Amino acid sequence: MDRLININLNINNEKYDLSVKPNTLLLDLLRDEIGLTGTKRGCDTGECGACTVLIDGVPVNSCIVLAVEVDGKNITTIEGLSHNGKLHPIQETFIEKGAVQCGFCTPGMILSAKALIDNNPDPTEQDIKVAIAGNLCRCTGYKKIIEAISAAAERMRRRE
Amino acid sequence: MKKYFAAGKSLPRPDAIEKVTGRAIYGDDIKFANLLYGKVLRSTHAHAKIINIDIEKAKKFPGVKAVVTGKDLSHVLGGEAIMDYPFLAVGKVRYVGEPVAAVAAISEEIAEEALDLIDISYEELPPVFDPLKSMEEKAPLIHDKISSYKHIPVIKPIDNSNICHHVQFVNGDIEKGFKKSDHIFEDTFTTQRVHHGAIETHVAIAQYDPTGKITVWVNNDGPHRLRKDLSKAMGLSLRQIRIINAPYIGGGFGGKGGLKEETICIALAQKTQCRPVKISFNREEEFTSTITRHSSVVKMKTGVSKDGKILAREVKVVYDTGAYAEKGPTVTNQASVAAAGPYKIPNVKVDGYCVYTNKVIAGAYRGYGIPQVAWAHESQMDIIAKKLGIDPIEIRLKNVLSEGDICPTGRQVMHSIGLKECIKKIKKDIKLIEYHDKNIGKGIACAFKNTKTPSGSSAIVKINSDGTAEILTSSIEEGQGPKIILAQILAEELHLSVDNITVSSPDTDLTPFDASSTSSRTTFHMGNAVKKAAEDAKQQLLKIASELFKVNNREVKMENGKFFVKQNPSKTMSIAEVVTSRYGAGMDIMGRGSYFPEVVGEKGGMWAAPSIFWMYAAHEAEVKVDKETGRVTVLKVRAAHDVGKAINPMTCEGQIDGGVVHGMGPALFEEVIFDKNGEVANPSFLDYKIPSALDMPEISSFMIEKHHKQGPYGAKGIGEMTLVPTAAAISNAIYDATGVRIKDLPITPEKILNAIKKKDI
Repeated sequence: MDRLININLNINNEKYDLSVKPNTLLLDLLRDEIGLTGTKRGCDTGECGACTVLIDGVPVNSCIVLAVEVDGKNITTIEGLSHNGKLHPIQETFIEKGAVQCGFCTPGMILSAKALIDNNPDPTEQDIKVAIAGNLCRCTGYKKIIEAISAAAERMRRRE
Repeated sequence: MKKYFAAGKSLPRPDAIEKVTGRAIYGDDIKFANLLYGKVLRSTHAHAKIINIDIEKAKKFPGVKAVVTGKDLSHVLGGEAIMDYPFLAVGKVRYVGEPVAAVAAISEEIAEEALDLIDISYEELPPVFDPLKSMEEKAPLIHDKISSYKHIPVIKPIDNSNICHHVQFVNGDIEKGFKKSDHIFEDTFTTQRVHHGAIETHVAIAQYDPTGKITVWVNNDGPHRLRKDLSKAMGLSLRQIRIINAPYIGGGFGGKGGLKEETICIALAQKTQCRPVKISFNREEEFTSTITRHSSVVKMKTGVSKDGKILAREVKVVYDTGAYAEKGPTVTNQASVAAAGPYKIPNVKVDGYCVYTNKVIAGAYRGYGIPQVAWAHESQMDIIAKKLGIDPIEIRLKNVLSEGDICPTGRQVMHSIGLKECIKKIKKDIKLIEYHDKNIGKGIACAFKNTKTPSGSSAIVKINSDGTAEILTSSIEEGQGPKIILAQILAEELHLSVDNITVSSPDTDLTPFDASSTSSRTTFHMGNAVKKAAEDAKQQLLKIASELFKVNNREVKMENGKFFVKQNPSKTMSIAEVVTSRYGAGMDIMGRGSYFPEVVGEKGGMWAAPSIFWMYAAHEAEVKVDKETGRVTVLKVRAAHDVGKAINPMTCEGQIDGGVVHGMGPALFEEVIFDKNGEVANPSFLDYKIPSALDMPEISSFMIEKHHKQGPYGAKGIGEMTLVPTAAAISNAIYDATGVRIKDLPITPEKILNAIKKKDI
């Protein structure tokens, strides 16, 4: 357990050359070693979705992924969504539509939404519900989140 | 119709941008130098004497810096209502999951390994898990001597029993009332333990300084209350304890108040030579060792006239509070006051019991005991309506309270009641088109909820020389929105933009007193404090302006953020011009405001007085029941809420949406399950499911504004009310669809199928 393994990651378009313990979880690597605390810990068993990150564009629960498993992959965390201070449309609509209350599920929710819209630019309400079914929220009842995601998809279609 | 500048507008929340960019800091995100990690060893028995704890091997384990047991704090007992709570078990354990020992080490892994080196020997005692059995005379005593515990005056424990509180309310003559009744209904309703389900877990970091002062960084919903509870338990002055809240809390719903991980952290920090110690609960510990909602047994006996008027109501409610009292006694009080429902009833008797059992502690949970009694009175109301052949909406309209009526449990004259309007709003919105599907049913329920009274809040408003401002407040932000609501109130008072206002985070050394951010009280109490602080600042500014204008104080006015002499309104000064003209070398203006409701009975201390305001709501649910599988799909919920005044309609809607979906869980599937040894059998989101996006029904929310004379712009509260009527509305809809009446939550498919089978036999 003492040996370290060398891995290379691309996190939010930045290259990282790291030496990690084999049992280090991706979530802990991001939060503790790299200092990106936007990804949250909620349950440690891949049930709540608060730890959602995108791995090569696919939403994944980082609390049940070992860092060594994602060697060479592209990882997107919530911190990677805005560029030069400009918010991503999903971030804009979450603010405008009142889709944020305590905010703890928000990073994971937004990344799941991004993965959905990137693959399906015109999602129905049911498409959205399925896409965020693995992101638990106790505050909002999901209604304004779904409205925000729908509005973001429309905004992104218009900007193209 | 008054025109508002900021109050009543759906302005976006200022904390949203931090949250959507992942920059918002929660408890576990705060970094410390030289940090030690704490882990807790917990009881594996529901009821047992602790014979011996051997910590020697653990102490010697490399990387371990401190090991503590109850012996280190044997004189310390905490608790807001009854001080019965040891920080770590002393003498005996009373529930599976109770903290018995803890380790602080240089890493979490080392702390966990060291726990395995602690040997504990127990002598088992007979446990009692059922609250009704626990009330019996022969039941094993969970607390040997309740009378030895200190408690607040309103609490009445019964010595030599497991009943830690009994409260009774009597109004009128219950026997006469039943004699006058044409029909009498007697039903028993029960509810289960449910969990708060906040996505963020409990976390605290504690550190001593060399003078003996403790600082605790924490996600607690009442920092001043926590400071006071620790001060009383540990015999320290308030000044010796500093509570600094994490800027944001990831959901609470009542679960993050009182004493939980903080106490164990402090116990460890006492032994680490001023190094900070952090304890972060995992999801399993959230289920096994924090708190749940009280399960309940509610016996309701109601006498009605043949035309549907309630003449008498007798309620006996028993709450299972688990191994320690925590908020149980005050939950029992608050809920007993509301147990007869929001109705005009001349003869009422309520007995509320708070009972110990050898299970995880039950405490504050959104609704504070009232969802359980609302479940009972609204289910029974439909039973009554059906028997008498009266429409469920009409029977409620016939009986609900109106302005000036006496609360059913006596005690107070009711003011600001928007319930008729809530019910009528829903009635109007229900389409006259009937569903053609026999499996779809509709149900309605209404309820009311109080707030803890008396309780106080203070705020300081700091006006900077450029006219921007800060609000110093100890209200916490766990999603309910004080960051925007309090800013809107200051914006309204001084005609500022909310973009130029910062609302602080609590630090008990710096931000003034607030009782807690609970009980749906923040908008009303802290809102009033901010309003008063703004008025205080305004008066100071008017005085300075009058000196600058060289006129008498009474001749200067402030309108739309500008100061001018009434006779000469064209020459104005802004707030910034007033301050900088007077204080060229630099200064700010500090306005302060304190709000403490003037009520009858306030001298009795906490929880002693009738509620300063009541919230009202009606929910209508439309469900489809699959009679083959018993599965219920909630199609639609209409929720009408009397909020007094919606200071931010968008955030109010958000509360309603959230409360409705939250309420569906305990109604249909959420349940903390205990095995035969009293251990929580489903301590994970895998086995304890909370509603996901796929469960969300169509939600229509309506806000009724029945102004309260003492609320800021007439506002009252909303947060807890949003899940109070939901379970009964769903149950009444299930009855409408199937003809089966389930009186025990959750209403699972099995219960529906069994009931349908019995009905068809």
